[in-house]
Amino acid sequence: MHEPLTDADDECVSNDKNSLPDLTIFISDLFLRNPTVLASGILGGSYGQLKRVEEAGAGALTTKTITKDPRTGYINPVFVDLGYGYLNAIGLRNPGVEQFSIELSKAKKDIMIPIIASVGGTSIEEFTYVAEKMVESGSDAIELNLSCPHVGGYGLDIGSDVKLTKEIIKEVKSISDKPLLVKISLFHSNKDIIEKFISAGLNGITAINTLKALAIDINSLSPVLSNILGGLSGPCIKPVTLAVIYEIYREFPDIPIIGVGGVEKAEDAIEMILAGASAVGIGSAIVRRDLEVFTEVTRGIERFMLENGFKSIKELIGYIHRR
Amino acid sequence: MTNTKDDKPFTETGISGKFMRIEPSYTMRSRYIIGEVHKVRRLTQKVREYIIVLKEEIDPDPGQFAMLWVPGVGEIPLSFADYTSKTVKFVISRVGAVTTYIHQNIGEGSKILLRGPLGKGFTIYPSRNCLLVGGGYGLAPLHYLAKKLSTKGCRLKILLGFKNSTDIFYVDEFRSISNTFISSEDGEEEFRGTVVELMKNILEEESFAIVYACGREEMLVKIARECAARNVKLEVSLERIIKCGLGVCGSCSIEPLGLRVCRDGPVFDGGILLRLEDLSRRSNEKICMNH
Repeated sequence: MHEPLTDADDECVSNDKNSLPDLTIFISDLFLRNPTVLASGILGGSYGQLKRVEEAGAGALTTKTITKDPRTGYINPVFVDLGYGYLNAIGLRNPGVEQFSIELSKAKKDIMIPIIASVGGTSIEEFTYVAEKMVESGSDAIELNLSCPHVGGYGLDIGSDVKLTKEIIKEVKSISDKPLLVKISLFHSNKDIIEKFISAGLNGITAINTLKALAIDINSLSPVLSNILGGLSGPCIKPVTLAVIYEIYREFPDIPIIGVGGVEKAEDAIEMILAGASAVGIGSAIVRRDLEVFTEVTRGIERFMLENGFKSIKELIGYIHRR
Repeated sequence: MTNTKDDKPFTETGISGKFMRIEPSYTMRSRYIIGEVHKVRRLTQKVREYIIVLKEEIDPDPGQFAMLWVPGVGEIPLSFADYTSKTVKFVISRVGAVTTYIHQNIGEGSKILLRGPLGKGFTIYPSRNCLLVGGGYGLAPLHYLAKKLSTKGCRLKILLGFKNSTDIFYVDEFRSISNTFISSEDGEEEFRGTVVELMKNILEEESFAIVYACGREEMLVKIARECAARNVKLEVSLERIIKCGLGVCGSCSIEPLGLRVCRDGPVFDGGILLRLEDLSRRSNEKICMNH
């Protein structure tokens, strides 16, 4: 590892315009001012929410997963804080693609950072229909949600069928030249599957979606979520996310990865980048850190780079593979 | 919202710790706490007061809310109508599936689960002249606020508006705290008309440092216009569909500002009401009937 900087060095650094750490990064064609990305499903359902997260300092924004028709989602409770992580089953609540297109068009007029549209569906036709509308409304990239673990007919129900998923990637890729990301689950963390997805034309991987999980309340002898099963996120899944990133990067170092699942602090983000992520998704960490989390993580990464003599975040990506 | 000192610190280690603003309270508030219904009181045909004794102290600010969970039925946001040492009062109006279930099935001795206090409450300025304006079922948080304000040396005037005289509740509770005036649109009470008209009359005669208001959003917008015209500070408590209650799902955001009622509110500066595009989206959404 590099020599740590002293306080005196710190001053030297601030006097030299050319040696500030460079936190900018490309994910395929997307230019990110810093490697923090609003993860899908968290806020991102309206112009106002997207705008606030941009102002909070994010490098890119992912919308809520948008489906062809509006979905009201599940009844409460939809979110549980487990202490070591979070369990949610919101049920892909979203206003539907027609309504959301209006929000997205408005957002694109005003928001400078890239907006990645998360697209959900139950069939090839639905995926392409929604993706087309999103591109028309100005989304800078498409992220296919093939991994939501708790909505029947959507997400992982589609993503578990590798052949169908490959077709969806191919079809959606054919409608535009915008970067196409695929949000995968732990289930997809297998060299053969990822290889098939890459050959179908994806430009980046978002890893990972929440893990199917259950919370039970012994006082009432009942499951907590109204949907019973939900998706687990937060600190407890970080080691899993790291392993998935590590393996994908090891096999496919040229495919950009957005690491999602357990980023609450700068350290978590740095770990994911060292494992091979080019950027990190932040979502449920907002419960504890609120929207300031984006700036806090970015500043923490910058500080780490200063202290350890890294000039560009690109030097950190996949560092542990080159030790 | 104030983070109380006795919240357990969220311990952090490592390099990024220096840059973090730690919000320990949210690690505690988002867990369920058990309570037992001590007493149920019928206030009107549709409204009941529930007194619940909790296993833990939660010490909410006036205007904050809790999520009350009825396993197998649903979970609803409720503002605190009162709170003293582990004993909380909620005013529950029968408006949907969960509240109907509560009215029919939750009685004295029933166990309940809640998480909170959540969100940001009213700002209290000690020793000021304050005007409280509440409409219908929405007046519950003003009761807890009035109690807190009176202990801080504030002089209060309370205006309560109801559609009909049969909808009236909590008048004695408010009167025991301070001067209270009632309006009803059917003319059975001291002032015939809306509470906004009553407020206009009062504002002509007397000046206040701040107005606090709760109720239907159309009413709050009218109040906001009156206060803006007179340059009086206003704080309002807003309602939207609250799902996660923690500021992550976005269900309760008010547009185009992207403010989350459950996290940035429910209490906001009244001025934001003049900048909203999605007025009372709540009442247009079918799913509000889940409550």
